[in-house]
Amino acid sequence: MNANTEALVGRVLRASTRGFDCGAHSRSIGDHHNFGAFVKAPITNDSNTYAVGLIYKVEIKDDQLISELVMGELVPDNILRDQRDNRMIPVEIKVLNVGYYDRYGFVPSLPPRPPMSLADVWECTPAEVDSFTHSLDFMRLVLGAAEVPSDDLIAAALWYTASLHEDRVAFMTRAGRRLARELSHDLKRLAHVLSLIRP
Amino acid sequence: MYDEQSPKRLGVVVGGSLSKGLTVKLEASESVEDLAVGRYVVVHGAAGKRFFCMLSDIALDNTNPAVQNNPPDMSDAFLRAVYMGTIAYATITITPMLLIDENGQVMPVKTIPPHFTDAYSATEQDVNDVFGREDDKHFHVGAPLELQETKINLNLKKLAERSIGVFGKSGTGKSFLTRVLLCGLVARGTAVTLIFDMHNDYGWEVTSENGYNVKGLRQLFPEKVTIITLDAESSKRRGAKYDFEVRLGYDEIQPEDVALLRVTMNLSDAMIDACYTLNKLWGSAWVRRLINASVDDVQYVVDNSNIAGGTLNALQRRLQRFERWDFLSEESIGESVQKIVDYLVNQRKSVVLEFGRYGNELEAYMLVANYLTRRIHQKYVELMEKSLGDDGQKPPNLVITIEEAHKFLEPQVANQTTFGIIAREMRKYNVTLLVVDQRPSAIDEEVMSQIGTRVTALLDNERDINAVLNGVSGAASLRQVLARLETKQQAIIMGHAVPMPVVMRPRNYDEAFYNALTSPSSSDTRAFSGGKKARF
Repeated sequence: MNANTEALVGRVLRASTRGFDCGAHSRSIGDHHNFGAFVKAPITNDSNTYAVGLIYKVEIKDDQLISELVMGELVPDNILRDQRDNRMIPVEIKVLNVGYYDRYGFVPSLPPRPPMSLADVWECTPAEVDSFTHSLDFMRLVLGAAEVPSDDLIAAALWYTASLHEDRVAFMTRAGRRLARELSHDLKRLAHVLSLIRP
Repeated sequence: MYDEQSPKRLGVVVGGSLSKGLTVKLEASESVEDLAVGRYVVVHGAAGKRFFCMLSDIALDNTNPAVQNNPPDMSDAFLRAVYMGTIAYATITITPMLLIDENGQVMPVKTIPPHFTDAYSATEQDVNDVFGREDDKHFHVGAPLELQETKINLNLKKLAERSIGVFGKSGTGKSFLTRVLLCGLVARGTAVTLIFDMHNDYGWEVTSENGYNVKGLRQLFPEKVTIITLDAESSKRRGAKYDFEVRLGYDEIQPEDVALLRVTMNLSDAMIDACYTLNKLWGSAWVRRLINASVDDVQYVVDNSNIAGGTLNALQRRLQRFERWDFLSEESIGESVQKIVDYLVNQRKSVVLEFGRYGNELEAYMLVANYLTRRIHQKYVELMEKSLGDDGQKPPNLVITIEEAHKFLEPQVANQTTFGIIAREMRKYNVTLLVVDQRPSAIDEEVMSQIGTRVTALLDNERDINAVLNGVSGAASLRQVLARLETKQQAIIMGHAVPMPVVMRPRNYDEAFYNALTSPSSSDTRAFSGGKKARF
């Protein structure tokens, strides 16, 4: 896989096998940082294995100057623009691991090791997303993750994936049926998720 | 209707047992409304084995009962597609009937397939593997539900060698079913039949319920069937070509003939005993003498026997009803029995006895049927005993067809009538019964147990259903099937002549059927496209 042709999301700040956080410059924030986007990062000491995750939180940090500017009155536009464009305002992106791939293909399970700090985090290509979501098994990891807004996250991931399919309704129906099996014990939650993904 | 050549996956086996049937979870794409009890399902087991099963129950289930309290909005196509087959799904119960091994050999089923084995709708090949192909010994009587191009073929030899029962509520097509069975027996020469044709349904043309005229056996097989009549006037009026008019002499009626009428004529035990006493006292003319007896005659009998006067008077009043029947003559004027036996045994012709207007008089029907059957059965016993050691001398299989059979075979009289004896002794003397009845529960249990092949249209009385299914393997599942047959054009065949119970849509009794019967080469009716159809 050629990572250089894909959009760089950021670099790893901290990581575990459950997920990782990466940082990026506010200036570089774009569609590839969207909530629910599929991203990947090489795991520690293995250039052939990538952790695959879903962005579940995008956090723009502040500092003392920004706090002061926020409270300031009559701040000129050029100062605001300068602060936004030229100052180093860190953006922190939190990723939930939902699988990994190695030389044998995609595995919808937690990666064997977390990515190393400062490893590049890339957006997955449409082909990779398509391949990875073929089985929809990743949804179990999302639904079982208590620390993330899993219902909205899975809906966002599915909407993104559906956009890659010619027949979006058929894909969403397949995903809905899988969700029905996974959430058959919790019908209220199922109804909520289905309402989020109804095509 | 689906493709009968390639199997259609219905679902997967998820549980069950051999005795209670297998539970199959239906595919989400399979509409539960398209299924019907009685349909065949084949489970493809390991190593090429096929478990041939009958669908016996259909149920709706869910993975979470809470869904019943708050059902999803099924008008939303997306929600419908998501919920159906996942949270809410259908299951079917299928009863394993037979096992078809990898060589196509059919054998009784003694085990079940493992979990999660695929279940398919039966194909034409599956059905043919079980029911064989139509040939000289197998007669096409109908098609399984959903497999209209497939044939259910009865083994005629097995059909004739034990008694047959055709049951069903009034108006469900028992006569048409019976006619189809009789056509098979006559066409293939498996047996000769003596039909006590109560309502003139079998010998000559009749008008079906939908207004079409359908041919009788004599018209279809003029060389193999003869009509005799009790009511020549009726036969002439209908244009039925009868060969002779049956006349019975009063002097031929024996106490046993009257005893059969015990229930119908409300005869007490004392009256039956009186018949035997009178026969002993007056000889063969006892019936006529009793009918004409004066007060002095009655008193003479009372004085010289142990019969009470009241009993004799009551018996006299009842037997005087015989005078209404023109087919009874003072003395025997013809050898009706001998003629019938000659047709049956020497000419190997089937005989249809039309009752004409007497068909509405149950007592007349029973008297004549029992009178003739008792004597013909006796002849058969003699012929069979003579033929011991020489099979070539054996008379042909005789199937005696009676309607309102429970009147002949109800527990009170079954032990005393020839019909009861025939039903019990089965093929010992090459005589069996074809009983047509709407109240099988009224037939003696022992007699019912001896009926080899049962063809049953819709029955909705619990006792009748129990009676028909008594002793049948897998009765619990068949009960559901039997109670849900359509009022017409559906019947279940079970017993000796079929390898397993089968719900079928009988053949149309129409021109195509006639052609298939009378054409020496063709037994296939599929090519026929014309002709009026008479459905039962």
